[in-house]
Amino acid sequence: MNFRFLKNALLFIAACAHIHWAIAQVNPLNGVVKAAGSVVATDQVRAELLAFAPDGVGPGKQVWVGLQIAHQPQWHTYWKNSGDSGLPTVLEFKWPAGIDPGEIAWPTPKKIPIGTLANYGYEGTVLLPVPLTVAQNFTGSQLDIKLKAAWLVCKKECIPQEGDFALSIPAKSSTAISAAAFQAAFDATPKLIKTNASQSSLIEVTGNTIKISLSDLPAALTGKTLAFFPETGNVIEPAAPWTQGWQGKVWTAQIPLSGQRTDSPSVMPVVVALDTTAYRIEVPVKGQWPQVAAAVQVAPALEAALKANASSGAAPIQASATALTFWAALLGAFIGGMMLNLMPCVFPVLAIKVVSFVKVKDQRTRVTSGLAYTAGVTLSFLALGALLLGLRAAGEQLGWGFQLQSPAVVAGLAVLFTLLGLNLAGLFEFGNFLPSRVASLQVKNPTVDSFLSGVLGTAVASPCTAPFMGASLGYAVGLPAVQALAVFAAIGLGMALPYLAASAVPAVARLLPRPGPWMVTFKQLMAFPMFATVVWLVWVLGQQSGIDGAGTLLGLLVLMALVIWALTLRGRARAVIATLSVAAGAYGIWAVGPSITKLQEPGSASHALTRGWQAWEPGRVDQLTASGQSVFVDFTAAWCVTCQYNKKTTLSNPSVLADFETKKVALLRADWTRRDPAVTAALTQLGRSGVPVYVIYKPGRAPVLLSEILSVEDVRAELAKL
Amino acid sequence: MLNRRTFASSVALAALATGTHPAHAAAAVGQAAPDFTATDALGRTHKLSDFKGKHVVLEWTNPGCPFVVKHYSGNMQALQSEFTGKGVVWLSVNSTVKESRDYLSPAKLMAWKAEKKAAATAVLMDESGQIGQLYGAKTTPHMYIINPQGVLAYAGAIDSVASSRVEDIKTATNYVRQGLTEALGGKPISVASTRSYGCFIKYKDV
Repeated sequence: MNFRFLKNALLFIAACAHIHWAIAQVNPLNGVVKAAGSVVATDQVRAELLAFAPDGVGPGKQVWVGLQIAHQPQWHTYWKNSGDSGLPTVLEFKWPAGIDPGEIAWPTPKKIPIGTLANYGYEGTVLLPVPLTVAQNFTGSQLDIKLKAAWLVCKKECIPQEGDFALSIPAKSSTAISAAAFQAAFDATPKLIKTNASQSSLIEVTGNTIKISLSDLPAALTGKTLAFFPETGNVIEPAAPWTQGWQGKVWTAQIPLSGQRTDSPSVMPVVVALDTTAYRIEVPVKGQWPQVAAAVQVAPALEAALKANASSGAAPIQASATALTFWAALLGAFIGGMMLNLMPCVFPVLAIKVVSFVKVKDQRTRVTSGLAYTAGVTLSFLALGALLLGLRAAGEQLGWGFQLQSPAVVAGLAVLFTLLGLNLAGLFEFGNFLPSRVASLQVKNPTVDSFLSGVLGTAVASPCTAPFMGASLGYAVGLPAVQALAVFAAIGLGMALPYLAASAVPAVARLLPRPGPWMVTFKQLMAFPMFATVVWLVWVLGQQSGIDGAGTLLGLLVLMALVIWALTLRGRARAVIATLSVAAGAYGIWAVGPSITKLQEPGSASHALTRGWQAWEPGRVDQLTASGQSVFVDFTAAWCVTCQYNKKTTLSNPSVLADFETKKVALLRADWTRRDPAVTAALTQLGRSGVPVYVIYKPGRAPVLLSEILSVEDVRAELAKL
Repeated sequence: MLNRRTFASSVALAALATGTHPAHAAAAVGQAAPDFTATDALGRTHKLSDFKGKHVVLEWTNPGCPFVVKHYSGNMQALQSEFTGKGVVWLSVNSTVKESRDYLSPAKLMAWKAEKKAAATAVLMDESGQIGQLYGAKTTPHMYIINPQGVLAYAGAIDSVASSRVEDIKTATNYVRQGLTEALGGKPISVASTRSYGCFIKYKDV
């Protein structure tokens, strides 16, 4: 307790002739001060009631009064939204008849961080002005004003203080002694910007964040980093890290919502500031606020049922089964990594590995290259994991597979696979046009080659999610960085282990056929899975950038093949054709390349949903379960091979569809093909960070998560319980 | 040591469950209240999940805060006696960091409890601030109700008038009394989430 303050407060109270507030006797901590005049001074602040009436007091004349608070260093009082704690300063005036007071014109506050919390308030000297409207019938020779003000002043400790003030303003003469203080307060008050309905200033609620777009800000602010203050309290998390940026003349910010939000406004007045220039905008809110207190509205009978269900443990994986231990997550990641080898994504790369395996004769080189491959895979997983964690820490809403949400990465992979396919088909050898030093490095140094094939393996593995991986990765992203990276490394080790084991056991090599002409045939055969992968990548890109993007990519791939073929030519033909084709390729990239990365508007072709399925959106599940309906949600993405497999098999199975029908289950599909913070947030709530995820919600029951590899039996068994 | 470890993993789990930055991994109304293990001012160990089947109130407190002083003028003690009498478990939590001038040693905290005739089931020591961060507690007082199923049913202010004046208690709606009365009567809590008011909690710097 602040003893020094206690002493002073007692002295103050003793010094005051008249104390009429009971609290002062009950609670000596409260600095209740009765002032004869317009100034109240405590150890923390000096507060003064000021007036500004340059033309005297009369109808139509400009009259302002205000409380000026000068804080001792490090002490502060609060803005209209005080942030995580604190209380706004309260001014209660007593006016004579004929005076109509307005609201406090709050000057722009500053954000005051306190440990893990943050408040909005004022340090130094601040004036809180209040405008007065004088009625036509006002006749007095002076205006007598009484003010009872209450403020909470805080440093490390907080002290509520109150003071009574009185002031007389002459009606016939000018009161402008405080003109400078009022002018400073007016300058510090945010200027109102009216939102234009045709402009696109709005707040979008997606999951547990809001995205603010302000399109009406003055040009002088463009490109600058702004401070942000919401006037509505307890909606955002004031101390949480947030991001901001400019898209042309539109300022955007993504701000996390408070977990204990108490307001769901349809219009949010906000203040943005650059140094001392501030603007106030009333921004309309689009989208649905996440439910604040969904489960609490459930009747006790249902809660009892929920409890019974939870204890029966009937569901294969309960949502609360996030209770993984770190070691279980590591093991899950390791097994998931091994199973990746059986997934269609990695299989082509593995096939190439087998060919190179056959070529190597001596056991030592084989083991070395096995180790190099392992290092390549593991380091790539670590790098991807570190990138993912880094971006998440920077406030991005991302999960596993995030790289494939970018059309540029998808197009890049398509280029890589086309190159590999052309190489396997025999169109060219890398030695033909790589600088000879690099080419010989590749030949002479199979270790580097193996390492790179590990990197390639990881790149192609990311669209696949094996069983066990989902839960492990979902758990990993919530862990401290070192442990999270250990989980990523475990996937890599798991994926590389079968190959490493095969390279270490001589018997495996003996089982394989001897090198021979079959290898050329096999190599050419393997070109086809590569081209098949390209087809699939082009389809994914089509989901992201539309038919134009996909067409452009195909065109550019043809040009690339032309360039490569031209470079394999010799003599004059090479000089002419290669020059022309390189020029054509460069022109192609320049002219139409950007349409590859141009994202298609949502709601167009890619969102054509299969009959019976509805698009998932935040809050939809709550709505449906609230009306008593069970819900099945398919979290999916075009680039997720596992998702597509499940969709075409189990989720198209007639008996499964019939069961959905009879149980009247609403089917929702959440598409994560492109970046979508709302879907990421929903996944996070389920303890996952990637797709596929299949969930069954039944009203009044904990959601049930199904396996990543969805079997008809599992789904039907779960549906039978509804 | 064991407690610490259990606790650390429950913090990690809570961070996972809400998916936010660990420092803001606040519990949310309508979701499972994060479990924790803590030592009270008498050195006894309490685990939240051991109280399943009962309503639990968490009350963040700091005797040095004027808003706590306001409610310990009789209001808080009356609430505690009324509802512990009806089988509710009442845990006062002090998350004040040791370095703060407001910090009270366990012995002094118990002396304060006796002097105020407080009727809390236990006063938990949380100098590390971990339980406070887990629940997103921001002010003293900051009140939480956890239902017998272990779901957070109320989070927010003690009452509806955000002030430090004792006389405002009379006119305010006490959200904790209202919520507990509804919950004990088998009704859903009508006001489940409000904005807490008071002094900020003097957390350990992180």
